[in-house]
Amino acid sequence: MSLAAEAFVSQIAAAEPWPENAALFQPLKGEEVTILLPTLQAYLRMCNLPVQVCCRANAEHMSPSGKVPFIHVGNQVVSELGPIVQFTKAKGHSLSDGLDDVQRAEMKAYMELVNNMLLTAELYIQWCDEATAAQITRPRYSSPYPWPLNHILAYQKQWEVRRKMSAIGWAGKSLEQVYEDVSQCCQALSQRLGTQQYFFNKQPTELDALVFGHLFTILTTQLTSDELSDKIKSYSNLLSFCRRIEHNYFQEHERPGLDPLSIRPSLM
Amino acid sequence: MDTKTLDPLPMHGPDLGLHPDDAELVEAEPETKQEVLENKDVIVQRVHIDGLGRTKEDLLGYEIADVFMAKNLIDVMKKSHEAREKLLRLGIFRKVEVVIDTAEGEDALPNGLDVTFEVTELRRLTGSYNTMVGNNEGSMVLGVKLPNIFGRAEKLTFQFSYGTKETSYGLSFFKPQLGHFDRNICVNLYKVTGQFPWSSLRETDRGIATEFNFPIWKTNHTLKWEGVWRELGCLARTASFAVREESGHSLKSSLSHAMVIDTRNSAILPRRGALFRINQELAGYTGGDASFLKEDFEIQLNRRLFWDSVLSASLWGGMILPVGDKPASIADRFYLGGPTSIRGFSMYSIGPQSEGDYLGGEAYWAGGLHLYTPLPFRPGRGGFGDLFRTHFFLNAGNLCNLNYGEGPRAHLQKLAEYIRWSYGAGIVLRLGNIARLELNYCIPMGVQIGDRICDGVQFGAGIRFL
Repeated sequence: MSLAAEAFVSQIAAAEPWPENAALFQPLKGEEVTILLPTLQAYLRMCNLPVQVCCRANAEHMSPSGKVPFIHVGNQVVSELGPIVQFTKAKGHSLSDGLDDVQRAEMKAYMELVNNMLLTAELYIQWCDEATAAQITRPRYSSPYPWPLNHILAYQKQWEVRRKMSAIGWAGKSLEQVYEDVSQCCQALSQRLGTQQYFFNKQPTELDALVFGHLFTILTTQLTSDELSDKIKSYSNLLSFCRRIEHNYFQEHERPGLDPLSIRPSLM
Repeated sequence: MDTKTLDPLPMHGPDLGLHPDDAELVEAEPETKQEVLENKDVIVQRVHIDGLGRTKEDLLGYEIADVFMAKNLIDVMKKSHEAREKLLRLGIFRKVEVVIDTAEGEDALPNGLDVTFEVTELRRLTGSYNTMVGNNEGSMVLGVKLPNIFGRAEKLTFQFSYGTKETSYGLSFFKPQLGHFDRNICVNLYKVTGQFPWSSLRETDRGIATEFNFPIWKTNHTLKWEGVWRELGCLARTASFAVREESGHSLKSSLSHAMVIDTRNSAILPRRGALFRINQELAGYTGGDASFLKEDFEIQLNRRLFWDSVLSASLWGGMILPVGDKPASIADRFYLGGPTSIRGFSMYSIGPQSEGDYLGGEAYWAGGLHLYTPLPFRPGRGGFGDLFRTHFFLNAGNLCNLNYGEGPRAHLQKLAEYIRWSYGAGIVLRLGNIARLELNYCIPMGVQIGDRICDGVQFGAGIRFL
């Protein structure tokens, strides 16, 4: 978002408190693997902000930036983690207030690492690996649409993702190279986490929500091979980190209307 | 009776071949010969068509068959004129001229006649190139037309528009039935984009439509199948959430039927006659995910009054019934208001709305009563002034959503409450036989909360006005 737009959003956002009927929109269950869904849910629960989860087939097109999931709060629609974090900050809820400048810079660096590596790797595996794309991703993506629109849209999306991959230089990579990159990224995260509970000591921050979201997605999504989730499981502190967050934030509270992550296979 | 005149099909009788040296120009017949022929019975022995290139002969046989039926000279002239009109209507000739002469040759009868149609075919390919400038947008429009491509009056047109914001194109193929030009098939392939600022909606349609037109007695029918891939999106970031929820892709596959009875003397500013058009569309049973039954009708009556003024009354109405549990899409609903329907209100700004974006409705009706008179003091009479008319109008209508669980009585009641209406006067300019411009002073009444009005002077341009 441009600076002016950001300022505008935060001014408007600051005016009202978090409403009861805030909603998080995501594609239909089973339609698409929504990479950021556990991230956002974890973040909002960490901030103690209630949201209802609504599933819509056209969530991707409803979103102002084309990325899912997005939140609809009051009459504001915000998508992507960065703007949502700023939006909640403008309303007075923030997880990273306790950090000093050095830590904040470090947090931003790690978030960039996760976005560049893990997010791109997940997109690559879903759309550029032909076996996965044909068996899992394309049928899922095209399921809400009638023939022949389903094929047209699935291929169009695949073409878009592939074009993006070649723009950032990932098109030439093989699947093994991608797995290796993911493994290296996890190693860096594992080292940073060490034996701490969360990345920045006792309190979770948006970095924790982001890492949790990605790792949870990789571990619980059904892909053609289990190689990737095995790699992650080899880093035991990351695995216990994920379990901890799932236990603290997704199984304790049983608020009606919320979507428990337990529809997906649990890590336990 | 001579057997030759009873031969209706020109397959055996006339000689339709090229006779390059046969072109005898019309000269003034000597007075005596004309006198004799007028009173006498004549027989049309041969009908030639000169100047054919790629046109196939069997196509033309039907159009000129009637000429053989003529019994005397006046009849021959009348039937030849009608045949000429029919040939021009095919849209494949630039010029058609008729030459009537006495029969020649060995088998020429004393009262035999030869009729020759001298035609000039249209070129195989015609193109056009324009640039258009609109609201913050410029575009280049390229048009290509191939008339009569296979020789039987088929027509292929292609139009491509490349703009700074949107690109659209259309390919259309038209084929009439041999001998019955009014029965024809038309296949269209198109991509069009539209921006609707009153709903903050952007729509891109890519589709195929196949239609079959045929007349039955005095009515014209059209049967059409259409498959459209629709993509809806928000026009601005500030679009309301109700419109945002409609974004995305959908596929509409529908069958529709339309019936038109049109006895008006002109489509723009008619002086007499009536129009009745009814259209129904059923979507969802041939694929796609839009599923509804849509009906709409249009009635217009015109009557000439004293002093060259015309009284015109019109009524429009429509209803869409979603089949299944999904509500009708915003792209299928009806809209009301604006200089072409209920004057005095902003474009399509009546009815259900959310945060300033108009969502359309499932049922509507609109009526208008107009009095057209020539301009006061009749300036420019006989020339330019005849294109203008003064116009007094009264418009009324309503647009709402229906709850289909209730009965028809409840629906009528709903359509009858909160009627919007307006009255006023203005000037109408007729543009050829295609469009009309209006400048009106309007006073809107019955305005409900949420409607946007345009009281005072309102300008309108279009083809179809209430």
